[in-house]
Amino acid sequence: MHSSVVRVQNVFGFFTTVCFAVAAFIALSDYYSPRTPSATLAVKDIQVVRGRPHYYSTKKEEYAHIRFSLSSDLSTLFTWNTKQVFVYVSASWPDASAPNKTAHVNEAVIWDTIITSPSADHLQNIGPAAMKKLLKSAKGNAIDPSRGKLELKNQKPKYQITAPSGNVANIENVVLKLHYNVQPWVGILTWTPQMDILRWKQVKGGVSKAFKLPAIKVKEEKKKAAK
Amino acid sequence: MADQLLENARDLFEGQIDFEGQRLAEFLATVLLSIVGVVSFLYGYFLQDIKLALLIGLGGTVLTFLLVVPPWPLFKAHPVKWLPAPEENKSSQGIVVDGMVIG
Repeated sequence: MHSSVVRVQNVFGFFTTVCFAVAAFIALSDYYSPRTPSATLAVKDIQVVRGRPHYYSTKKEEYAHIRFSLSSDLSTLFTWNTKQVFVYVSASWPDASAPNKTAHVNEAVIWDTIITSPSADHLQNIGPAAMKKLLKSAKGNAIDPSRGKLELKNQKPKYQITAPSGNVANIENVVLKLHYNVQPWVGILTWTPQMDILRWKQVKGGVSKAFKLPAIKVKEEKKKAAK
Repeated sequence: MADQLLENARDLFEGQIDFEGQRLAEFLATVLLSIVGVVSFLYGYFLQDIKLALLIGLGGTVLTFLLVVPPWPLFKAHPVKWLPAPEENKSSQGIVVDGMVIG
């Protein structure tokens, strides 16, 4: 510590150590805050239609278009270390040819959204007007747990789903499930827990009743032409 | 004149401090940075604001740099007292063996 340059090096060196220690404590503080999310999912209208995966494709596949209602309370996921929460709804169904006919081995995402914490609002890639509204909605608070409360009524899916075989009509025993990712400022990305881990509980509910995908919807004109 | 100025500028840049000052600087850097870390975590956790924790941490670090790095008079309060220079003896290089000056 005899000269200025040595003092700069020593102070900076210890600063990095302190940074790492504080960051580790911030990451560990996540495990101390309880996570008790709950959700109810209900299927509304379902359609199965024939379509092409892209404009130039010669192959036609079946696409399921599943509307749903979601009421969820994910507010406990929002703490000081939460940067954003990624929420998604998937449809899953068993494979009839698999040895275990009841296991839901097929899964496809039908809808997702990003919920930012007010501390990460400025990172959202949205227009200026929407950004202003988003920043205003936090009312200057550093965290806003009310953003975890989603109320979707008869929500249109973002993605129409199909299977590798291209056939999804008449599939039985399909369920919708709610999943989430918590992306922290410091620490590891966490997925929906499949069991209770200390203070983190599984999603209460979050699975819809089993339903069946309908047969392919035939257009009215074709029906008329067939007569 | 120019040499003197250059010498002063170099001393200011090097910022040499005495031994007691070095001990104090080391102690201050360790203690202040540790306190800053603890305070920033506690403020951030209890006010649930990670930006505040970051600002306290960085602000406290800047203050620590300002307090520890420049050669403040506080770090020069105990200058080393050197022994007086021996009398000049042109013929001798001061090599002493068994109490006899031999060269």
